[in-house]
Amino acid sequence: MTVLAEKDFKVRYRNSVLGFVWALLNPLAYMAILTLVFSYLLRVTIPNFPAWLLVGLLVWRFFSIGTAQGLFSIVGNPSLVSKVYIPRYLIVLSNNLANFIGSSLEFLVLLPLLVWLGVGLSAYALILPLLMVLEFLLVFALSLSLSALNLKYRDFYQLWDIALQLGFWLSPIVYDASLIPARFRLFYSLNPMTSLIEAVREIFLQQQLPTAFDVAVVLASVILFLALGLLIFRRSEKRFAEEL
Amino acid sequence: MPIVAVENVWKRFRIPHEKRSTILDHIAGALSVLEGKRYAYEEFWALKKVSLELGEGESLGIIGPNGSGKSTLLKLIAGVMKPDIGTIRTNGTIAPVLELGIGFHGDLTVKENASIYGVLMGLHRSEMKKRTEAILEFAGLNRFQDAKLKTLSSGMSVRLAFSIAVETEAEIFLVDEALAVGDMEFQQKCLDKFREFKKEKKTIVLVSHSMGLIREFCEKTLYLLNGEVRSFGSSETATTRYLDDLKAVT
Repeated sequence: MTVLAEKDFKVRYRNSVLGFVWALLNPLAYMAILTLVFSYLLRVTIPNFPAWLLVGLLVWRFFSIGTAQGLFSIVGNPSLVSKVYIPRYLIVLSNNLANFIGSSLEFLVLLPLLVWLGVGLSAYALILPLLMVLEFLLVFALSLSLSALNLKYRDFYQLWDIALQLGFWLSPIVYDASLIPARFRLFYSLNPMTSLIEAVREIFLQQQLPTAFDVAVVLASVILFLALGLLIFRRSEKRFAEEL
Repeated sequence: MPIVAVENVWKRFRIPHEKRSTILDHIAGALSVLEGKRYAYEEFWALKKVSLELGEGESLGIIGPNGSGKSTLLKLIAGVMKPDIGTIRTNGTIAPVLELGIGFHGDLTVKENASIYGVLMGLHRSEMKKRTEAILEFAGLNRFQDAKLKTLSSGMSVRLAFSIAVETEAEIFLVDEALAVGDMEFQQKCLDKFREFKKEKKTIVLVSHSMGLIREFCEKTLYLLNGEVRSFGSSETATTRYLDDLKAVT
């Protein structure tokens, strides 16, 4: 499996350090333009806005790229499915693993920048790997369902693309969750990405433990989606080779 | 203990009469069902009631006309597909060389693809590093080791797949007409390898249209016709039966 993850990693970054530099440039460019729009034009008054934003972007990026690529892991690897036999979930898992490593590196490399932007590092930062692992499991759980569905319905990725775009704006990435009217609050916070982003911000910006509620929502959704994903994947994997 | 045991295996495929591969197709299809049309697909049994057993050191030839289920059976034995009815048990590591070569990723080099393939077949990473040289040597692709896989010709890619399979030290080799693609020199090399395997009591399952090849390497032969076992037994009997059938038609 590590070999497969390495393969995906190499393909993603085209085997070069420069490929990774491009991957870093993307969230930085987003941070710059969104900071410009939100704090200078719309006058958002969140303290440490660029750092606050970058944390949200990085967490979201792993989720969106992880699931978008995980969705193609089966359709995009026909020879792994129909030329040799390996347990199929490994194909999905290794794809997610490659993205997990990529995203962890992004965090690691951008950490000094976050500090420079005014984020204080404390012992709470050590919770980040744990949260990343939870996010990884969430990505894996969703990728299982998505990759199986995308094989059956070849235009499923279009639907997921739209879902990701909506998800970006339905998660507190560029605005604070407190702006959501109270009557929608409960519904809004059921989005696991809301809790995940807030949890990471809590450890970096407020420098405190993530709230029990946030951790509970993330854990519950990991379990729920993992069960759902395994169910869908198990049911459809028998016919993977003939549907490719 | 049998090396390969196929017990009462049935495999079904669906032949759709309309294309339904996207969500939109399915919505359109569901609407036409409401109008009273049926979702049209035909069921097609690619394999019916196939049973066979191979003991240690025995090799199997699979013959029959195109579309008789040979490749399907090979894929079932490889574990790539699952039978709808029946069971297949194998005892030993399997190295499949199924249809037209490999290609895990066209953008990675020949060497990288080779090592991925080897590891998937159960070789250890460190072991694989040592063997890559031998694999490329056998395939005659030394010069191309750093070329991207997509730039290879189809013949070269089959040679690569075959060479890796040969070097993995598996106990069961599944070969699907792969030999036909290689040139004469390469075919000869492969046959020598096969003879070695026979000496080592390894199992070869060979799908081929060459009766000579089958008679040389396989103790037993399965003759499939329209998914059913027409004959299973000694290679001499099965191949003769096949040739007789051919004569009867022409």
